[in-house]
Amino acid sequence: MSKPSDLVQGTLDLLLLKILALEPMNGYAISLRLKQVSGEVLQVSDGSLYPALHKLEQEGWITAEWKPTENNRRAKFYSLTRLGKTQLEKESANWGRLSSAISNIVKLKEA
Amino acid sequence: MRAKHWFYTLPLRLRSLFRRDHVEHEPSEELQFHLDQKTRVYLAAGLSSEEARRKARREFGGLEQAKENCRDTRRVGFIETLLQDVRYGLRMLHKNPGFTAVAVLTLALGIGATTAVFSLVSAILLKPLPFPNPDSIVLPELVSPPGVNLGSEYFPWGQTQFRLLTRDSHPFQAVAAFQNDSFNLTGTDDPASLDGFRVSADFFPALGISPSLGRAFTTEEDQPGHEYEVVLSDRLWREHFGADRTILGRAVRLNGYAYTVVGVMPAGFLFPRAEEMPSSFNFPREAQLWVPLAIPEAPKGGPSELAVIGRLKSGLTIQQAQAAMELVTKHAEAKDPQWKGWFNTRIVPLTRQIVGDTQRPLQLMLGAVGIVLLIACSNVANLLLTRSLGRRREFTLRAALGAGRARLIRQFLTESLLVAISAGAVSILLANAGIYFVKTFGPSNLPRLREVTLDLPVLGFALFVSLATGILFGLAPAMGATRKNLVDSLKEGSQRTGVSPTSPRLRSTLLVSQVALALVLVVSAGLLTRTFFHLRGTNGGFNPDRVLTFQLPLSALKYVDQSHIVAFYQDALRRLRSVPGVLSAGIGETVPMGGEGESTGIRMPDHPAATQKELPFANYTIISPGYLDSVGTPILRGRDFLDSDTADSMPVALVNAAMEKKYWPGQGALGKQVGPASARYPLLAIVGVVPDIKHISLREETVPEMYVAYTQKPWPSMLNLRVALRTKTDPASMTASVREAIRSIDPDLPLANVATLITLTDDSMSQPRFSMLLLGSFGLLALLLASIGMYGVISYSVTQRTQEIGIRMALGAEGRNVFGMVMGQGARLVGLGIALGLVAALGVTHLLASFLYGVQATDPFTFAVVSLLLVGTALLACYVPARRATRVDPMVALRHE
Repeated sequence: MSKPSDLVQGTLDLLLLKILALEPMNGYAISLRLKQVSGEVLQVSDGSLYPALHKLEQEGWITAEWKPTENNRRAKFYSLTRLGKTQLEKESANWGRLSSAISNIVKLKEA
Repeated sequence: MRAKHWFYTLPLRLRSLFRRDHVEHEPSEELQFHLDQKTRVYLAAGLSSEEARRKARREFGGLEQAKENCRDTRRVGFIETLLQDVRYGLRMLHKNPGFTAVAVLTLALGIGATTAVFSLVSAILLKPLPFPNPDSIVLPELVSPPGVNLGSEYFPWGQTQFRLLTRDSHPFQAVAAFQNDSFNLTGTDDPASLDGFRVSADFFPALGISPSLGRAFTTEEDQPGHEYEVVLSDRLWREHFGADRTILGRAVRLNGYAYTVVGVMPAGFLFPRAEEMPSSFNFPREAQLWVPLAIPEAPKGGPSELAVIGRLKSGLTIQQAQAAMELVTKHAEAKDPQWKGWFNTRIVPLTRQIVGDTQRPLQLMLGAVGIVLLIACSNVANLLLTRSLGRRREFTLRAALGAGRARLIRQFLTESLLVAISAGAVSILLANAGIYFVKTFGPSNLPRLREVTLDLPVLGFALFVSLATGILFGLAPAMGATRKNLVDSLKEGSQRTGVSPTSPRLRSTLLVSQVALALVLVVSAGLLTRTFFHLRGTNGGFNPDRVLTFQLPLSALKYVDQSHIVAFYQDALRRLRSVPGVLSAGIGETVPMGGEGESTGIRMPDHPAATQKELPFANYTIISPGYLDSVGTPILRGRDFLDSDTADSMPVALVNAAMEKKYWPGQGALGKQVGPASARYPLLAIVGVVPDIKHISLREETVPEMYVAYTQKPWPSMLNLRVALRTKTDPASMTASVREAIRSIDPDLPLANVATLITLTDDSMSQPRFSMLLLGSFGLLALLLASIGMYGVISYSVTQRTQEIGIRMALGAEGRNVFGMVMGQGARLVGLGIALGLVAALGVTHLLASFLYGVQATDPFTFAVVSLLLVGTALLACYVPARRATRVDPMVALRHE
């Protein structure tokens, strides 16, 4: 499965879980939200978004449901499961540790 | 966490597996929605509809790839691939029905035979005995004093010894003595003679089985005067008493006494069966009823006839029990020096006693069937290899399209496992037939034969063998077929010569080993066949033609002393001799092949024994005048017993040739004196010498034996003698008139164990016959499989060499040259196989030594005949393809690609 090259491994999962933790959404809305909240910094191609979503679904972290949209079309809405919530907490903690570690290193003064 | 995880994901996986259409289409719809949304945005921004759609598509990237990636995340990869391989494999097998049939059948024969043999092993060796905690049930057996030959390693217990044991502190939770007896059941419609056991009170507790109806004996009932209680076997209860539950407390007449029925044992409890106890006890096939043994408080001595069984106190090991028994021995010897050397026991676990001698025949069977299975596997491996060569282009193409080697091997293995599993299914039928065969022809002394079934462990074993063989025969061709360098293969594939140099070598190796293995098996079968026919031709000291034998179990109540018994036999002999068709009649304690007689210590004035240990032993057999005539044993020297040898005339004896040779070599036994060891009994004058008569098996070593006239016998028990009648016509047809004659003397007396001497002799050979039939059929199977393999290899090579043969013929080779060339190729392989097989057989057949009789393990005749047989069969298998090679049309062959 292809992964966006500019994203650290596993971070896409974290982003998706976090976005879905706020409210259930369909794939298209997720892609918009990703761009919007990251200030267009994070570019996730549509081609890799859906496999990632399906993977999360297979893992049992998110669940999907076909529901009508505001303009009366059927779309697949994803929402976080209890298992996903735990996973999100775990991954955010991991991310916190990792990013602070990295920023500490980056901030080191050169001798 | 893990379990919870599965709780969520399992339904999704299952949905993926079973709702494939859903999985395939769902992503399309979802992605379509995404595209449509984007398109709407661009439309709203003012782009044309065509442009908006294109832009949306472009931004999305590879749509189909994304769909495929989505599907990939949802597929249950392993199972899907497996299903795909299975579907493909089934299609391939279906397309080649010939190959499939041969491969499945070949393997099924191998697996079926193996499964049948394993069902035996499972029933005999692996299943625990049907008693609670069977490992603590043991037989304390009395061991012969060193240097004394009693004919068997163990000898029976005496009543005094058993009392000494029970009064001492012994290692048993429960210990019991028992001996067999026959019981005449009267007072029902048909008097019957039943095999039963007199058992002491702890017999059932020692085994840990209680009656299913009523109760076992109490200690009070196990005392002289109170012993008229009986426990029935389930079968006896059903057959003779109509499974009547009110039988408890009722009296039945056994040997003329009224016995009260106190219990009925559960179905299947028939302990002890003959095959479960040392053969020297000569026990009946199975027990039908049990009565108390009632050993008196102070036994008076008398013959030693008891077997002893005990359940060890819990937690006691065999070694500890053995040590405890040595103390018992020491106490007994201290009390009475007469026990010195005669009270040594060895604790033998019941399981080991029962399994005992059967391990060797089972090993033989396992070895033989293993060879058959190996041949079958290598045969199928060869078939697969042949086919894989034909499919090389397919594999090359798959490899070129990106299939990894592991993936190719996996697909190959899936196909061979499919073959193996189908074969496993077919083999269940064959195994069932095999089990029927074993049950029908299996020797009666094979313990627990009745318990042999196709049960779950056996089916599991069949499955295991199928899978193992599938991998075994599938792996080599799979490795071989996929090892190829892609480029070479593509180049090769376009040419017709395309046999890579490694494959024929592998195929030839497989073939040569098949021939070698088949040779080993057929040689073994040949040796056993010669043994069997040698045994049949062996002179057992009697002539079994047209002799009827049966037992007359006299009631001790009616025939209270010696004179009554003798009078009865005299009367019986007179009447039997006058039955039309009877040529001669005689009575004996045993009949040939009817079991072992009694053995006793003897004294001979000209061979005085210095010590008790040197006491000579001999079989001591009571017979009547006319007995030797009836079983067809001639008198070598001297005379037979006469009617004039009576209790008042001079006591006389006959001895067998073995005894004469041992004690009076060169001078002859006639006129010498011999008698039982105890001086209480008179010495007997030897008046005749007879050939050695064999008792149990034609292959037994003969031991010294002396014969005593029944009219002169000072021994107490003569209630159960056997009758032998030589008849003019078919002896079996005489049974009715003989029964009539006996009934006219004693209407309550049944005829027991009616059998012709031929039947007894045949029964005694059931073990060698079974070994012969078994190895014979396995050998035949091996031969068949090896010739199929031979045919396959040669005929494939002819196909491969069609072009070459065509060229040769175009250049002037004649049909017979080509024929010779193909046959030569076959002959080389067969020759190599036979040479290897002969070496292997020389190394293996000595393992058979204990099964052989009258033939050496390296019998050159057998080896030569079998080699020729194999050459003949193999050449026959080559003949067809060789003939085909001569009919190759050069023009067609050359144009062929």
